[in-house]
Amino acid sequence: MSSELFLKENYSADGARVAVSGEIDIYTARQLKEKLYSVVDKSSKDIYIDCGGLDYIDSTGLGIFVGALKKTRLEGRNIHIENLKENIKKLFIITGLDKLFILS
Amino acid sequence: MDSPDKIGLTLPYKAEYVSVARLTSSGIASRAGFDIETVEDIKVAVSEVCSRIISTASGFDGHYEIQFEIDKNELVIRFYSDNNKIRCIFDDDKDGLGMSIIKAFMDNVEFCPDRTGYILSMSKIIGVVSGNGL
Repeated sequence: MSSELFLKENYSADGARVAVSGEIDIYTARQLKEKLYSVVDKSSKDIYIDCGGLDYIDSTGLGIFVGALKKTRLEGRNIHIENLKENIKKLFIITGLDKLFILS
Repeated sequence: MDSPDKIGLTLPYKAEYVSVARLTSSGIASRAGFDIETVEDIKVAVSEVCSRIISTASGFDGHYEIQFEIDKNELVIRFYSDNNKIRCIFDDDKDGLGMSIIKAFMDNVEFCPDRTGYILSMSKIIGVVSGNGL
């Protein structure tokens, strides 16, 4: 019954992609942070996070996304967040994070 | 006279059980008659508080409690801790993301009220469409 999170990364000429599915909460946050920060460090291009399989995220997860964005911005890179479900997109809008990330 | 329906959930200070709080609050919010979008909002708000309690209680033994009270036109959710070091859990919420989410999704929130047994109380009025219009 614990939340579960699945992450899959791949790298291409356009940038690095991370596919996220499951739930991001205080229990799975560390797993997300380790993976996402590692991908940011390994890539020199923009990061694309596919959230098509993401069912839940809270402020812990949003904070990790913001932390990753700060790292990329230091090098003039961006984070693109793709395929957000409506309930998740709502959180980005309420917190103003839709203005920080490139949503598509 | 009908008294409110009360449901209680006691959880350890462990991150792996926050999803249980989400499932329980979804079930109760549905039973109270909220639409699916509002059920989702309530679930997120409850989970935010639980996450904050867990972060504050890092390493503590013991339990916290969530009490749900369904009155005819309101769902009230209160959080209690068995540890008096867990009180004003949002005082150092640097980003403010947690607080802004809770305030956006719930109609009424009492953060760190004085002279009450609970550490946080929040409520949602039944019968009002989720107020964010998104």
